[in-house]
Amino acid sequence: MGRYKQYIPDLKIYGIILFILVGFAFWIKIIHIGSDWQQAGLTTFSLGFLLLAAYMTAQILRIAGLPLISGYIFVGILAGPYMTGFLTHDLVVRLRLLDDLALSFIALTAGGTLQLQFLRKRGKAILINIFLQTLFAFALVFLSFFFMSNRLNLMPDLTEPQIMVLACLLGVIAVARSPSSAIAIINECRAAGVFTTTVLGVTVAIDVLIIVFFTLAMTMSEIILGACTGVDFRMVTVLTLAVAGSLALGVLLGKGISLYVERVGHDLSLFLLLFAFSVFKASIWFNHFMETHFAVSLHLEPLLICISAGFTVQNFSNCGHIFMEGLGRFELPIFVLFFSLAGASLNLDALCMMWPLAAFLFIIRTIGIFGSTWFAAILNRDPPQHRRIAWMAYITQAGVAIGLAQLAQRRFPELGDYLTMLVLAVITINQVVGPITFKIALKTAGEVDKSNPINSNLF
Amino acid sequence: MKVTFALLIIIFLAFSGYHLTFRHFRLPLFARIFYLTGTEFLVLGLLLGPQFLNLVDPETQKGLAPLTALLLGWIGLLFGFQFEIKKLRRFPLEFFFGAVLEGLITLALVFAGVYLTLVICCDIPDSFTMVVAVTLAAAGGCTAQTGLALLSPDRIAKGHDTVKLLRFISSVDGLIPLLIFGLCFFYNPSTGSGGSWLGELWSGILTSLGASFGLLLLFTLFISHRRFQRELILVVIGMTMLTSGLASSLKFSPLLTNFFVGFWLVNLSRDKERIYQILMTVEKPTYLLLLVFLGVCVRFDSMGLVLLALVYCLYRALGKFLAGFLVTRVNPELQKYPGQLGFGLLAQGGLSLAILLDFQQAFPSRISTSVISFAILAVIYNEFLSHYFLERLFKEGA
Repeated sequence: MGRYKQYIPDLKIYGIILFILVGFAFWIKIIHIGSDWQQAGLTTFSLGFLLLAAYMTAQILRIAGLPLISGYIFVGILAGPYMTGFLTHDLVVRLRLLDDLALSFIALTAGGTLQLQFLRKRGKAILINIFLQTLFAFALVFLSFFFMSNRLNLMPDLTEPQIMVLACLLGVIAVARSPSSAIAIINECRAAGVFTTTVLGVTVAIDVLIIVFFTLAMTMSEIILGACTGVDFRMVTVLTLAVAGSLALGVLLGKGISLYVERVGHDLSLFLLLFAFSVFKASIWFNHFMETHFAVSLHLEPLLICISAGFTVQNFSNCGHIFMEGLGRFELPIFVLFFSLAGASLNLDALCMMWPLAAFLFIIRTIGIFGSTWFAAILNRDPPQHRRIAWMAYITQAGVAIGLAQLAQRRFPELGDYLTMLVLAVITINQVVGPITFKIALKTAGEVDKSNPINSNLF
Repeated sequence: MKVTFALLIIIFLAFSGYHLTFRHFRLPLFARIFYLTGTEFLVLGLLLGPQFLNLVDPETQKGLAPLTALLLGWIGLLFGFQFEIKKLRRFPLEFFFGAVLEGLITLALVFAGVYLTLVICCDIPDSFTMVVAVTLAAAGGCTAQTGLALLSPDRIAKGHDTVKLLRFISSVDGLIPLLIFGLCFFYNPSTGSGGSWLGELWSGILTSLGASFGLLLLFTLFISHRRFQRELILVVIGMTMLTSGLASSLKFSPLLTNFFVGFWLVNLSRDKERIYQILMTVEKPTYLLLLVFLGVCVRFDSMGLVLLALVYCLYRALGKFLAGFLVTRVNPELQKYPGQLGFGLLAQGGLSLAILLDFQQAFPSRISTSVISFAILAVIYNEFLSHYFLERLFKEGA
């Protein structure tokens, strides 16, 4: 208790700030909102409230040793449509615009954080981790879900092939990670070292590969359900083209950013914000254009483009550090908004309905990750401590997994809401538990910046 | 999707245009007036708006309204930061009174002229006439520094004292017009309840004071600790959003509320310099975005608007000339300045435009669109006139 005494004055101020903020939020909720201008005001107020309340709450939770993003997510959940309803469903959907911007921005950061010299050193370790984690997580989730559903007759209205497809898709989605959370926590702790680089490399690479795995799983599912009879090579070609095209475009844009930094230089943060936003929206427009005009579903992946662009600037130009500084300037507000909105989107209804199954899947996935990281660490001859803690760094899951679940639901409507609900419920658990375990892992690995006051008070 | 697309275009234009307009872009004088004042962005906005390309249709404008509120808040905060008492004290006190008096006289004259014109010539409901007249008078009372920025260095060297006074007046004279414009928000023309206006005024003032006090307390608490730059950026953005959002939800002006916050911050905060730097980072893109948003609101559907713009421009010019004359004659300390001081106060941009956008957002109607349209035309007239009259001022007076 004694060590927390020094924080009491800070806590008092944080408490008063939160009290005033909540007071304003209550007040604005009882105001009659009639005109469009007032409605716009309410949206603006909600964003400001979320930004400040999430930031303050994170500061309070930080004193207890929790990662900042847990605070942001927590406020999002509290303010979201499933708890207090301060942010309505409609508003959360409208604010998705910010999600897009934030995701691209975070992807740029992810690319910029990957340094070729470290990746070269840890390349083998990263590859082994990716292979084992994909295999273990998929196999364990697939097998346990399939056998349990059959044995306990959990989904009586689904046929056996349908359960197999559901298990297959759940298995693939279990492989997905959340690079955004990983980057937020690494930045928060200013962590650096072998363990951090490996985790980041694996997380970002899986984020790229998951798209390929998921496409393969969809094809397999179609074969199982009898919708098609063999592997669609056209789809595989289009997928390869999309991934290669996105990476190549990213390299090109990365060169463009380097040129901007070298030739123009000023207002870099604003430029990068605009860049991230444009890439996201332009790729969506391009994908839509290709589908409607040429009937080709060549999906450029904005996240891949941004990761590749960030990676190019960091590793193939002299302005990597300026680039990272530029990103850092607006990073905090973007992280706060992104994670609090992610919190507001977490489906608590799904969790309430599905919690036993979700908890089971969470445990199975965690066991899979634990097993794979353990074996990977042995093969890589990592220190024994890394062997024990590596699993804690891979729990987080977010947007990509939700996106994949929604895609699968659209393709297999007969699976009903099972898949989405289940995925949402598992993600809720993973996103609450994951950041905390990741921060503990970084601290235990001894890779957090100890001079940073933010890291002085971990578990 | 359309909202996003429109937002992308607007931000891209503002960003790229800011680089073209404000950085290393040398052009002949006529074009420089056009560029330096950002008039081209009004035209771009007009092109993007419903009258031409319709990329930013009314529905999209609605989607972009939160950004508009934030924009107005940012400008209000920046304007508040101009009133640092410590810095204002470096100037003679009569400069301040001169500026306030000039703003007040212009406001009164433009108000009288516009009100009479609206009553006699225009078919506007009585309840709305007052709001329109106050808004136009407030926008007319403000002065921009763009004309002074175009003066040649030898002119500035020759009339150094006059330029100093003109710069001071154009930074400060928006104070009274902005405060008076704030009163419009307590008067709700849609109800037409002219009789209960005073009652609404008091309850409105009390509500605003309460909200302002809470917001100021909040800001104070946030910056009571010295924060890292990135944390301060978050606090400034968050507080501007909160303040603008609350003001709009309470049917009040985000511009004015943030002005109060800015005024208080610059005078009491230890971190004022750092906050000011953050605000200045996006000052110019903000200004250009403001121009684009205003341009989008403009509709030129009648030649009468051109005439109304001329009349409004005339009232304002007369107001400025008379106010300039009176200011230099009433105060003995200012008598050494030329009587034609008003010639140097014709440029109209920045705050005037923010007032117009604030009005358009808070009182949306067909009438307000027409008002905005001719007022903007008048702003463009003024930009061109201001150069001519400034030259005359320095040829004859200074």
